[in-house]
Order: sequence, then C-alpha cells, then structure tokens
Amino acid sequence: MSLLQNLIPALNRTTANTESAPANELGATVKPVFEIKQTAEAFGVTVYLPGVAKDGLEITAEDGQIRIVGRRAWQRPTGWTALYRESTDAAYELVLTHDNAIDADKIAAELRDGVLRVSLAKHEAAKPRKIAVS
Amino acid sequence: MRLVRYSYPSYRSLAPVSGRFSSSPWSGLETEIDRLFATALSDLAGVAAPAARVPVDLYEDKDNTYVRAELPGVNRDDISVEVVDGYLNIAAARKTPAAEGQAEQTFTFNRSLQLNEEVQADKVAAAYENGVLTVTLPKREEAKPKKITVAVK
Repeated sequence: MSLLQNLIPALNRTTANTESAPANELGATVKPVFEIKQTAEAFGVTVYLPGVAKDGLEITAEDGQIRIVGRRAWQRPTGWTALYRESTDAAYELVLTHDNAIDADKIAAELRDGVLRVSLAKHEAAKPRKIAVS
Repeated sequence: MRLVRYSYPSYRSLAPVSGRFSSSPWSGLETEIDRLFATALSDLAGVAAPAARVPVDLYEDKDNTYVRAELPGVNRDDISVEVVDGYLNIAAARKTPAAEGQAEQTFTFNRSLQLNEEVQADKVAAAYENGVLTVTLPKREEAKPKKITVAVK
C-alpha cells in the first residue's frame, strides 16, 4: 500500500488534506476560463480573471499543484440596486496538478486587464532529451 | 506553441461551487471527459472563433443606470460602445499576438441590450478597469424618482 502511494503521489493528496483549510475562507468559488499551451521549454497558462486586480490575486505552488486564487476588487456602491446579474461575486479558483513536471522556482506571472499569463518552466527532467546510444 | 487545453465557459464554470463539493469523486472523471471532447472536437472543426458571450450585470441608482460587462484582455481602442436606436451595443475584439505555428487570432465579443426611453443618450460614459467595462447611462430628468408634495385642501 505504501509502495503504491510512493509511486503515485496523487494518491496521497486525498480530499481531506487539500480541501480542509482553504475551502473555508474562500466560500463558494468559480473556475475561470483558461488556456494552456506548451512549448518544449515551458507551459504557458492564460487565465481570464475579469475584475481581479493585483492585490486580489494569489498564486501558490506546493506539492505538485499550482493554485491560482483571484478575488474580485469591485464592491457594489451602496445606493446601487442590482437589476439583472449574470456574473457572480465569488472568487476565482483554479488548481492545476502537475506532479513535479514544473520547476516551481522559475514561475513568472503577469496580470493585465483581467488576464493572467503564467509561464511555467518545465523541470529539467521533464524536457525532451536525446539519449546517446553508445 | 501547441494549444493543449481550452476550457469554454459553461453553466458549470460560471456557477459558484463550494470547496467541499468541487472535489467530489466524479469531478476528475468529468474534467477528463470534458477534455476528451474538447480535444476531439477542436481537431475536427479547426480553431473556430464564434462570437463569445459577455456576461453583463445591470444596476441602477436614482440618477443612472449602470451596465458592467466582463471583457478581460481587450485594449481600450478595440472596445466600441454605441447607443443606436434605443439599443446599447457593446462590441470588442481581443487579438492574441501571433506565436509560432499560429497566426494572430481575433476573438470578437458582442452584446446588445435594449434601453428604455429614460436614458439620455448623449451623456453616456464608459470606463474600463481590470477587465470590466462599466457603462454609465444617465436617466432623464423626468424619469428620476421625485417627491411631489400635494397640498390637500
């Protein structure tokens, strides 16, 4: 059993460990629209987070997962009544599991106009390599 | 760059999901099936760019009506807000820069809202911040709530 858990790290991440603390403070969350593209060197993730400014954005990388949380910056002024809503006030949350294919020290991110672009450099071990045959 | 995965907004993605339920035993299976369909269909149809939906919110206070539209990643010059014939048209184009293997792509957004006659069409203003466009539509003087005191004889 423990051998299997060592071989497949995802089995150790049961819902009990991952969801206990963070889920309480965020409340309901929405998954944002996102795209992932890859080159030989890195993955590029584009996440659409309208309404999120730099202070409301939080990116954490731990235990083989990248977690992006965006809280909307706008508060409805008192005096405004909502007539019709199609968006929500819930925070955005996106969890990407990579199982150590990404070098967590080389993550670069840029947030502009509600679009977050994250560049996740691939771990050396995950890059395609030529193996010489002796 | 090769496009690996694109997730279209759907009811499921726009509706808030509380943390406990988002990791149900089926969520992994559903994501895998969504991904399977997305890659299968995108290979068949090519990269089509239909006009995407823009979520809008309508608010009002006593002086103005406000429309907030979520338009992430668009330049201010590419947004056009027009009031024509009692309709408010919001159109925007998001251009993704050309990368290797792909030409520059343009996604267009379009949303048209019907306005009642209480709007002063020449004083409409719009602001764009953090990916959200806020259009302020001032109400006509006659339409503002007014207190009328009536003397009772």
